[in-house]
Amino acid sequence: MKKLAIAFLLLLCTSLPAQDKKPFRWGTDPTGGAPFVYQDDDGKYIGFEVELAAYLAKKLDREPKMVAGDWSNLPQQLNKSPDVEGGIDVVLNGYELQEDLAGKYLPTRPYYVFRVVLMTRKDNPAIRGWSDLYQRGGERKTVGVLGGTVAQEYLEKTFQKQIELLSNPDVANVIKLVRDKRLDATVQDSPAATYFLKEYPELAAVGEPVRPGFYVIYCRQDDKELVAKLDAAIADGIKDGTLQKIYEKYGLWTDDQERLLYWQSQPWPPPFHPEAEGKGEEKKDAPSPLPRLSRELAEAAWVTIKLSFLSFPIAMAIGLAVGVGRVYGPRWVRVPFTLYVEVIRGTPLLLQLFIIYYLIPDLLARSGIGFLGDLGRALTPMVAGVLGLAINYSAYEAENYRAGLLAIPKGQMEAAQALGMSRFAAIWHVIVPQAIRIVIPPVTNDFIALFKDTSACSIILVVELTRKYNELFNFNRNLIVELAFLTAGLYLLMSYPLSIVARRLEHRLASLKGGAA
Amino acid sequence: MISVTSLTKFHGTHRILNAVSLTVNKGEVTALVGPSGGGKSTLLRCINGLETFQSGEVDVVGQKLAGGKPFDPKSLQKLRQKVGMVFQQFHLFPHMTALENVMSGPRYALGKSRAEAEPLARKLLERVGLKEKADSKPANLSGGQQQRVAIARTLAVQPVAILFDEPTSALDPAMATEVLAVMRDLAAEGQTMIVVTHDMDFAERATVVHRMKAGEIVKSGPPNEVLKDHS
Ligand SMILES: Nc1ncnc2c1ncn2[C@@H]1O[C@H](COP(=O)(O)OP(=O)(O)OP(=O)(O)O)[C@@H](O)[C@H]1O
Ligand SMILES: [Mg+2]
Repeated sequence: MKKLAIAFLLLLCTSLPAQDKKPFRWGTDPTGGAPFVYQDDDGKYIGFEVELAAYLAKKLDREPKMVAGDWSNLPQQLNKSPDVEGGIDVVLNGYELQEDLAGKYLPTRPYYVFRVVLMTRKDNPAIRGWSDLYQRGGERKTVGVLGGTVAQEYLEKTFQKQIELLSNPDVANVIKLVRDKRLDATVQDSPAATYFLKEYPELAAVGEPVRPGFYVIYCRQDDKELVAKLDAAIADGIKDGTLQKIYEKYGLWTDDQERLLYWQSQPWPPPFHPEAEGKGEEKKDAPSPLPRLSRELAEAAWVTIKLSFLSFPIAMAIGLAVGVGRVYGPRWVRVPFTLYVEVIRGTPLLLQLFIIYYLIPDLLARSGIGFLGDLGRALTPMVAGVLGLAINYSAYEAENYRAGLLAIPKGQMEAAQALGMSRFAAIWHVIVPQAIRIVIPPVTNDFIALFKDTSACSIILVVELTRKYNELFNFNRNLIVELAFLTAGLYLLMSYPLSIVARRLEHRLASLKGGAA
Repeated sequence: MISVTSLTKFHGTHRILNAVSLTVNKGEVTALVGPSGGGKSTLLRCINGLETFQSGEVDVVGQKLAGGKPFDPKSLQKLRQKVGMVFQQFHLFPHMTALENVMSGPRYALGKSRAEAEPLARKLLERVGLKEKADSKPANLSGGQQQRVAIARTLAVQPVAILFDEPTSALDPAMATEVLAVMRDLAAEGQTMIVVTHDMDFAERATVVHRMKAGEIVKSGPPNEVLKDHS
């Protein structure tokens, strides 16, 4: 039986269409951007990692094939077979040599030494170095980072609550916010910093780049052969100057890179806890990070609660006004309100948040009217998030209310008007209170849905629960399961009471109708 | 007090009222009788502006509605405060208690405060025999009780005339009796009213009876004359 299976497998392999070369599938997140992997004006992928991958593939006598994925989930792709759709052989995308990752996947030797760089506007006198980030009485400085990166971890450890740390999955967005004076500073890996300092002359690197780290390629645990080949290729590339040529092309060759050669011949990976090593004992059990992680998640859950409870009442108010306008308003009200509902419902929340937080302030700044520009700059992620959710949900609430209003029998309006009430008074005192009761169940359901939709606000730098989970997950890949359960638990803890309230309300409503009130 | 002058109404091409004229004097009870589809409800609805009409005029103590154009909302509201309406299906506001229903006109149409509106509302509930039901919601009242609350609600605005559109035909006979008793009391106190009814007992006690058929008033006069050949 077993033999048969093996024979079958062999047959399968040999019967595959003969390819000239085996592919070298390298996983990357092209949205992570320049100068790692990005598109040139013709839409072709370029970047120092694209060229590095091409070089490595050539040394391996394989065909380079870029496979795009979400950055923080790239290592997970290695858990799957390389031959499935979207499967990869290696992760090659500015991933640092980290203990938790090195425990699960095999790291190659380093191909680049990076540091983190503090960037701010040239004309910002308040930040001239790292120490200026400390609070010192005044307002906390706002610092944007790429979520889940070394920069974020470094800032959290070093400055803790002294700065307001905002994270976002898109480097270019963060950099633009600093240029537009909406963030005080940003901290980036040196390659990104180098690239964007060229792109945005308004910005400058201040203070010394700090915390050197290694970029490595991660492979499957059992892919020792591939790692050995890649290590050899990297070492050759360093010795014969190929890597230097690639890096220089992108302006990325620094003194730090001189150390690359040294590390090619050292024990690898180097010890992660050199201080503990000296004591010659078994590695001491570090205190479990779970209490700290739980606390951080709980704080993020509080942000989720704030977003929901601030935005939903606004959504209900706008929704009611729009719903009433659509049912009872004159034509010149009905038409724009209908348009409003259709446009808002027909476009994704993410896009709306993007427009509110990035586009509108940008337009206001360009309007040249001073106070409008200031208004745009003062727009915080939280306010934009609340506004975005409120507007998005107002369209759905408007539809709920419209349905509720239309369900009220015509006789109610006639009876109210026959008493001499104005149309407005009749709507407000007679129709709306009844409609509101009817729509309580769908509206509470929407509130629960909104709770979960708050996660969209992470694209505008709000760190709510889902975002926090994603970030913590990047630094604690050995606690993935615990983190997932904690996060799901927190969501449940928040939405379950709501469900109960919703059910109670529905029950009361039913009994009202049934006449037992 | 109320005068309707050659009122004509179409629904599309279908003529529902054809040059109807009618006057109602103060203190009179006017009964409208006639076969189904004759236009009785439509006439009442035109008198308090729930329906527009193509030509003719309605005048309630000086408040006028003219046919052929949309009504002005302000004067419509004034007219409705002068002429109340009681519907066949009661149309009580289900989210308000009986008392709140009765206060709703004074409060939301006349702009009185709750404190101002409450004494009269309680008195009216007592008058229709429902003092104890002040805090009940409509869902917990019988049909007859609901219709009596609806009458009290109309009275609370203190209209000069009240229009009743078959106020008892959705009720079983026992309940109809209690509603008719209230209406008779009102009539005895000199309340001007126009009543569409199939109840011959009530019609017989009216001041004037108009028989309507196919959108026209075909016969008018004292009850014994108009009602005698039909029974
Ligand atoms: N909204 C409408 N659209 C079209 N025709 C209508 C409408 N309302 C009433 N009609 C028509 O107008 C005519 C008069 O109706 P109306 O309800 O006034 O009669 P009625 O005398 O009150 O009858 P009933 O005794 O059955 O209540 C009927 O032929 C009816 O079909
Ligand atoms: Mg009728």
